Amino acid sequence: MREEIINIKNEALAQIMDAKDSVELENIRITYLGRSGKLTSLIKKIKDLNPDEKKGAGIVINETKNTIERNLVSQKNKFRTVVREWFDPTIPGIKPRIGHLHPTSIVINEMYEIFKHLGFSLMEGPEIESDDYNFEKLNLPKDHPARSLQDALFVEKPEVVLRTHTSSVESRSLATLKPPFRIVVAGKCYRHENVNASNNAIFYQFQGFALQRGLSMADLKGTLYYFVKSFFGEKREIRFRCKYYPEVEPSGGLDLDCPFCHKKGCSVCKGRGWLEILGCGMIHPNILKEFGYDTKKISGFAFGMGLDRIVMDKFKINDIRSLYNGDITYQI
Amino acid sequence: MRIPLNWLKEYVKLPNKLTILTDKLTMAGHLLDKVEKFEEDIVIDLELRGNRADCYSILGIAREVSALFDIPVKYPKIFHSLKRVDQLKECKNRIDNPYVKRAMMVAISNVKICPSTEKIQKRLRAYGIPPINSIVDLTNYVMLETGEPMHVFDLEQIGGSIQVRLAKGGEKMTTFLDKSLTLTSDDLVWANDNSILSIAGAIGEKYHSISDKTKNIIVEAANYDQANIRRTIYRHNLLTDAGIRHEKELDPNMVEQGIYRFLELIEENGWGKIKPFVFDYYPKPVLPWKIFLNYEDIRSLGGVEIDKKVVKDILKKLNFEIKDENEKGIDTVCPTYRTDVKLEEGVVEEILRIYGYEEIPSKVLSLEIPADITPSYINQELELKKILTSLGFNEIISSSFIKESDLKINFLIDGEKASPVEMENPPSPDVCEMRMSLIPNLLDSISKVINERGESINFFEVGKIYFKKDGKYLEKRKLGISYWVKDKIDFQYFKGLLEALFSLVNISNIRFEQVGNIFNYVNSYNLKLDNKIIGSGGRSNNIFFTEIDLDSILGKSGVVKANLWPKYPPQIEDISLIFPDKTYIGDVINIIKNQKNISDVELKDTFKDSYTFRIWYQDPDKTLTNDEVETIRSSFLKRLKQKFSVTLKT
Repeated sequence: MREEIINIKNEALAQIMDAKDSVELENIRITYLGRSGKLTSLIKKIKDLNPDEKKGAGIVINETKNTIERNLVSQKNKFRTVVREWFDPTIPGIKPRIGHLHPTSIVINEMYEIFKHLGFSLMEGPEIESDDYNFEKLNLPKDHPARSLQDALFVEKPEVVLRTHTSSVESRSLATLKPPFRIVVAGKCYRHENVNASNNAIFYQFQGFALQRGLSMADLKGTLYYFVKSFFGEKREIRFRCKYYPEVEPSGGLDLDCPFCHKKGCSVCKGRGWLEILGCGMIHPNILKEFGYDTKKISGFAFGMGLDRIVMDKFKINDIRSLYNGDITYQI
Repeated sequence: MRIPLNWLKEYVKLPNKLTILTDKLTMAGHLLDKVEKFEEDIVIDLELRGNRADCYSILGIAREVSALFDIPVKYPKIFHSLKRVDQLKECKNRIDNPYVKRAMMVAISNVKICPSTEKIQKRLRAYGIPPINSIVDLTNYVMLETGEPMHVFDLEQIGGSIQVRLAKGGEKMTTFLDKSLTLTSDDLVWANDNSILSIAGAIGEKYHSISDKTKNIIVEAANYDQANIRRTIYRHNLLTDAGIRHEKELDPNMVEQGIYRFLELIEENGWGKIKPFVFDYYPKPVLPWKIFLNYEDIRSLGGVEIDKKVVKDILKKLNFEIKDENEKGIDTVCPTYRTDVKLEEGVVEEILRIYGYEEIPSKVLSLEIPADITPSYINQELELKKILTSLGFNEIISSSFIKESDLKINFLIDGEKASPVEMENPPSPDVCEMRMSLIPNLLDSISKVINERGESINFFEVGKIYFKKDGKYLEKRKLGISYWVKDKIDFQYFKGLLEALFSLVNISNIRFEQVGNIFNYVNSYNLKLDNKIIGSGGRSNNIFFTEIDLDSILGKSGVVKANLWPKYPPQIEDISLIFPDKTYIGDVINIIKNQKNISDVELKDTFKDSYTFRIWYQDPDKTLTNDEVETIRSSFLKRLKQKFSVTLKT
């Protein structure tokens, strides 16, 4: 009986494929599934089978019936003359509420992701900081000329400041963590500056540092090039040059070609053709010694950059104050 | 610093193309800020860094050009050495202050006060100093040329004696630029018996400076404790050309080069008769210092292999003497003007700088990858922020400071008293305290944009608050949420969002408890987890807000439990109950939920005092019979009646 069913099925499917219109299809349906159709007649015969055969035959007939019906429907759909109903796909959708991260968070997250690939961990630290961690331990003793670049906001003069840079987390990490480590830090920093469109007493910095036997300027350069290419794009031109910072020796700076004038010089890059992106170098031997490290046995690098300029460029925001006063609208 | 190229050219041959010069200088640490035509000259403005005190001069930059392009420096002629004496007979002096490292003085008689030469005037103008007269111009000219600031005193004006001392606290003086100063006992001055003559290293005094009538002068050049001068110039805002040089670490040996160059030009121009004696106070002469440079350290620190011969060549170009050498490295002697190079790492930087940072290979960290030690709360915080955006909240970042008008909210932290953190030098007079809550800034932000941005606004901020407690400065991480819908006050919808948030961070059992109103806000409540306050909230007009202590919830989150759908079906029924006024419905639901074999309770509907609950009766082990459901129902109804005057609505 099984064989008979399969023959019927193949025969029916072949006819369905060859059918020219829906009338023909209806005839096929009657031929096989109608009250006295070929398949229906077989169903009637099931009762004559012995119990073992009964069950198997029932299942196969059922499957066959379903297959024929499915094919009839899909073939029928092909013949349907499509009537074009009026429908407006341009009508606006009813949006579910979608929120957005702040542009600064978006940039930080993106940078975190890049540095995670390079084995960096994320860290954070206090914003109210001691003079010790913010300056002294970072090779910035009192009355050091470089301190004039970082006018601090004082909570208690001269020992308690609002951190002027995220390097304070570097000094805290050097004091407490066990090398090897690679760390990135992002966060709020503060300087005593008159508030205007491009200067804000509050700003964000992104800092990285690594301490591990065998690190050199080549590792620093490679790390930064990887980061810059990933974040700013493969095509940007990079200038890696000597630039003094008291926290590092040898010290360096990384500039990018100005995207607005393509190095011809414009108001954004102050005619220089290049934008200064970050400062970097090998952690200063005085700092390593301060934390009890033997500079012959271990070395480290550090880099830091202001985030606000990068965020403003990426999101085309031209007033730094609007980053932190709720003025931003979000669009996707 | 502005460098007129015609001047620089006098000491070192320059490359033909300007950009070749400025690109190399930039790469080697002196960023080209701008190029400018000045009269018939070209002036390049270099952004010098504070460590290179030796570069704040034309000769300093000439030395850099010389090292970078391997062209010798032609040093200008200096006057022949004068006989050293313990005192000048024209003027007795007392210089021995510990802040003075070196001071030299020479007397000059019959000075000619006249306009200086065309060349000097032009160069001063190109740099940006207005010409005054022969003698003043010459001090400025020599300062720009050599980097050594110097000062002249009118001998008739100062009388027979001069000294360097600390000012008396409160002592007053007027600078030659007519600025009145009240000095502190940390300010170093040059003075005679009666008055202050100049502030050491910074600026001259008004009434004793040279004038058209000046006949005889003393020229002084000195080197001071950099830190002391720096404090003075920042204290009194005296960022003069002398001041910005003295606040850095200048070479005491430069004093000599400066003063003899000055004398040479006096002589050449016939502007006075040089007395043949020099007073030189130099208690601890600075000698060139030795540094051992290990070749291996160039590779291990610099990351680049440089040929030994090239290393030695670079050192020679930089005037570092090679005293001794062996297989391992070089005993090199650092010229005293390089006050920035004290350690071997500094010498390595010098080698790299001249060799070229562009030659350092770029190597992506090939070393073993250290363990990830990111504290879990940082990742959780990032996750939390993403969840909030998925619930429709926009993130804002607001100021860490608080406006004066919001100070009243600044004294409670998690229900406990604390004092705000104040700044001693606030960035602006109306902002002097740090925030102790995220709420005021959050309400501010939302109020600003209400009615401008559609029908509803949801904001959140994740940030720190700051306070002082028991003499310690503390910070806590908070989450602030605010929610506004036009013309609507719908706490339940807002609470639903909060509950969704808690459930997405896998925290259950947060309890909301009404409390007395917080400040002038209404509908205030506390949030409790394990009977500990973890946040609070309220309403201001129709803006709802909540502040949650992140350290209390992050790290507390449970693991997501995946349960199979119970095998035995529930019986679901809706029951309407009538409660008197002021019944906390949350408590009612808790009682029903705590009943055995009730798997869920939902508030379906409220109408006046009638509340309809949907209740799921379900036993994990069997299908409940009607009788069993009846028993469960009467059990929780009994318990409700014990607590509330509830009536069953039929």
